[in-house]
Amino acid sequence: MRKLLVAIALATLPSLGEAQGALSLQGLGYPSGGMSARAEGTGTGVADFDPISLTTPASLASVGSTALFFQYSPEFRSVTAGSASAKTTTARFPLIVGVLPMGPRWTLGLSSSTFLDRSTETNLVRRQLVGDLVTDSVDVTERNKALGAINDVRLALSWAGSPKFRIGVGGHAFVGSNRISFSQLFPDSTRYISTSQTGRISYAGFAASAGLEFHPSRVIAFALAARKGGDLRAQEGDTTIGTARLPDHYSGSITFEGIPGVAVSARAAHDAWSSLSSLSSSNTKAFDAWDTGVGVEAAGPRVLSRLITLRAGARFRTLPFGFNGEKVSEKSFAAGIGAPLTRDRASFDFAIQHANRTAGSGVKERGVILSFGLRVSP
Amino acid sequence: MKLSSLLLRSFATAVLFITVSSCSEDLDSSGVCAVLCPPIGGEVQNITVDAVSFDTTVQSLSGLGAETGLLLASRGDSLDTRVVIRFDSIVSRFTPVGDTAQDIKTVDSAYIQLRLDTLAIKGDGPFTIEAYDVDTTANDTSTVAVAALFRPDRFISSQDFARTDLHDTTKYYISNAVVLAKLQGGAQLRVGLRVTGATSAQIPIFSGESGRTPLLFFRATPDTVTKPLVVVPFSRTPTTDAIVAAHLTDYTVVVKGPPPAPAGVLAVGGLPTRRTYMRFVIPSSIIDSSTIVRATLLLNQISNPALDPTDTVLIVPQLVTAGRAVTDPVKAAQIIADLSGDTVRVVPGNSGLTNVELARALIAWHLQPPDSLPRAIVLKTVIEGISISPLEIRFSPIEDVVAALRPRLRISYTSRVPLRIP
Repeated sequence: MRKLLVAIALATLPSLGEAQGALSLQGLGYPSGGMSARAEGTGTGVADFDPISLTTPASLASVGSTALFFQYSPEFRSVTAGSASAKTTTARFPLIVGVLPMGPRWTLGLSSSTFLDRSTETNLVRRQLVGDLVTDSVDVTERNKALGAINDVRLALSWAGSPKFRIGVGGHAFVGSNRISFSQLFPDSTRYISTSQTGRISYAGFAASAGLEFHPSRVIAFALAARKGGDLRAQEGDTTIGTARLPDHYSGSITFEGIPGVAVSARAAHDAWSSLSSLSSSNTKAFDAWDTGVGVEAAGPRVLSRLITLRAGARFRTLPFGFNGEKVSEKSFAAGIGAPLTRDRASFDFAIQHANRTAGSGVKERGVILSFGLRVSP
Repeated sequence: MKLSSLLLRSFATAVLFITVSSCSEDLDSSGVCAVLCPPIGGEVQNITVDAVSFDTTVQSLSGLGAETGLLLASRGDSLDTRVVIRFDSIVSRFTPVGDTAQDIKTVDSAYIQLRLDTLAIKGDGPFTIEAYDVDTTANDTSTVAVAALFRPDRFISSQDFARTDLHDTTKYYISNAVVLAKLQGGAQLRVGLRVTGATSAQIPIFSGESGRTPLLFFRATPDTVTKPLVVVPFSRTPTTDAIVAAHLTDYTVVVKGPPPAPAGVLAVGGLPTRRTYMRFVIPSSIIDSSTIVRATLLLNQISNPALDPTDTVLIVPQLVTAGRAVTDPVKAAQIIADLSGDTVRVVPGNSGLTNVELARALIAWHLQPPDSLPRAIVLKTVIEGISISPLEIRFSPIEDVVAALRPRLRISYTSRVPLRIP
């Protein structure tokens, strides 16, 4: 009985990091990475055919030449809960990729992308009785800050047997950390002692992925991809504080290029996020989720003798971690452009996404994500 | 300019602007915390414990004359303090304007310039300040010996002051003949000042330690073209300790102080100045394992109506840093460090609960073991060592027969929040 009471007490204890301050930042964070600005501009529809995106290793073979790619994606987010609201700006660098063709058939790629981003800060003011239980009521500010992310570092190899068929495999290392600080701030430093705690949770795990692309004709193509997750371990210092399985992932895509200068793509993916539930120590629930997107990419006008590519798309997905036991769904609409630079030795991609997130409650969240991608072929 | 070029430049400018503006993160989403942020820190726990294991009143050993103030007071049967200023070396030669150095043969307009703390003067006046020759071959720091020298055959001079005559800088004229005799004889001039009057008088004077030292002025010639001579206080004794001698250039003699607190009662302040020493025993489950956010020493103040019962006295807790080797509380109470804590304002005539904030002491005790940092504090007045005040604050000790009146410690703490995955 006593053990049961202790277990109940531990389960109800608050812990650092529970105050997330946004629907998209529940649990281990927001899955922001893996897609290039090009893929984001098409609502992720083209992601499985994009050599810069990390959704499948097979697409690496279509890169054409050695490439380095770097992406910056700030998000401007507003959260509304009844009459209360908050606006934040999060600067992310979600993707860096290096691709190296090794002969006409083989391509090697090394990349790092943000898997789950958990950058948040909240200040909660609480009225507490500190001292005399009748007269000493003071406002205590609880400041909670978490910075950091779990990143997906992938080494992948792709083989193109023919223009119609590509296949690839990848090995993933999921590494990263969350730096957490928690302070209780009191108003009068001569009477009260403000407290501060800091900690760092580091993560490490492995996964493997495989993918294939099939182009039966010049107007249509299909892609399949899958990733099998291994164990993900969370540690504070040398102490393991939780383990879970990295979510299995699979996706299927189709692209149609029957209209000259236009490519229409669609993609559906499934992530078994619930496998991360065992890592959570609170009531945050992880849900298996679908991620679907459709988009179009079309040749646009020429500006300064450069052919501009125009993109648009929509994306519907469920985020990994729920709020109050409810799934958090995200609907995004995106647009973007792509432009070659310096005689096609570099290119610039830009995408803007407008996302609405809801969780079946009175809380609503909107995010505007800008993505700037620069690809250089040395 | 071509339209395409204009579009490209506009787009590049917009990208640059957005990039720069988004570089500074603003992650604070506190606005919706009422809904999205569950409390993390848990509730603050408050407990009150009988943590004081030992308490006593000890004398402050700051040293005679070490204060930056002197107190000249006469308050009936309650208080009689006098001031001694030592001019153990007086110049005996001077140089008139347009002439050569020569021996001083006359003294004119001799006065001691006193710097007064006029805001702290008590009494409406008029006041009479008498000067006596307190030079002696007896123990020259003995209160009894020095007080005995304030007698008619030692009388030097007297001067009456209305309250309005007492300014920040006040001239106290003394006998020219006495000054001349002392300088010609190569003797020490040690002036003892006493105030008398029909009503109570209490006149604070700045001492040499404050930088506003009393000075002796006199003219060696009636010729006003020649500037007056200035003599700075100086003490030849004790010959073995220059620092103590420097303190003794001017000091206060407490002939009669207010009645001390009854035995067993804790006292802070008064004349001579005293401190309260307290040692604590705090449960290790609190001091070692919890996060202390507040600690308050709850004291029961006992009314002391003897002198100025409605005046305000500032008390400050200090951390005792004397190590294990110092077992005598009197000595341990002199080895202290500032806590940067809250100053307590108390009124001597009041009684009842007085709170002294001690959170910073507990933080220090949490960081260091009792062997190196004893769990002890001292309560002292803020002005101790700075000025002299007869006001004394009294508190109930742990031996008080009424348990509720004994010193107690109220501790507010939180448990350490576990670092876990959300």
